[in-house]
Amino acid sequence: MENSKIIIGYLIYLPVVILLTIYVSKMLFKNGKYFMLDIFKGQEDIALATNKLFEIGFYLINIGWALLILKISYYSASEMSLQTLIEILSKKIGGFSIYLGVMLFINLFFFFRGRRKSRQGNKKIIKTPVYNVHNEQ
Amino acid sequence: MNYNILTYGIYLPIIALIMIKVGWMFYTHGEVFLLHLYKQDNTIVKPINNLLLIGYYLTNLGYAIITLAYWDKVHNLTEMLNTLSEHLGNIIIGLAVLHYNNVLCLNYLVKSKKVNQYIKSTH
Repeated sequence: MENSKIIIGYLIYLPVVILLTIYVSKMLFKNGKYFMLDIFKGQEDIALATNKLFEIGFYLINIGWALLILKISYYSASEMSLQTLIEILSKKIGGFSIYLGVMLFINLFFFFRGRRKSRQGNKKIIKTPVYNVHNEQ
Repeated sequence: MNYNILTYGIYLPIIALIMIKVGWMFYTHGEVFLLHLYKQDNTIVKPINNLLLIGYYLTNLGYAIITLAYWDKVHNLTEMLNTLSEHLGNIIIGLAVLHYNNVLCLNYLVKSKKVNQYIKSTH
């Protein structure tokens, strides 16, 4: 096996990344439930459904991205050393972790925005204007 | 076993310990400010605080790990100590800057809230 180190790298990378995604999205949407309940003003069924949909989207985007950046390209005549493996893995896992953090903050921003919008919506009620055509004539 | 791997093995626990400790302190002490901002509404403050903590951990630990990829080669013990202190120092200073930034932001939010309340009470 000439590139067994790369396979070891994949075997470390995949569980770490997938477990990280699952943990983060579990925490995010466990806490996001309260935001959703607040946004939908206590209508529990629609709030939980929206929360679940967001969660599925979060999983899809992040695991998809994690798989997309999986490939380790290492072109050298010599066998990969342990140090190189650690450095490549650190770049990948660290980069993914930062990316996940940014995604979490974006989601949080959406929650805040939704909450603010639903608060604003409380104050002004937009009525459709009714024109009485028949009286004009 | 070369010096680089040894240095990584020393660096990672130290930085993880510092970041987790600092994050936990922000978490417990920042809650008071958030409670103040959200009018003691505990149901919404707890989730916000949790999510902020997780975001902090992810981005900071991710950055601490990603810097490993760009280290120079370490040849002997003195170089090891030099690079260790340099990288640790860099990250801790970064944390301090972020921390002061956060405190200023919180201070600004609390103040602007007070001003708003004052304006509302006079009208």
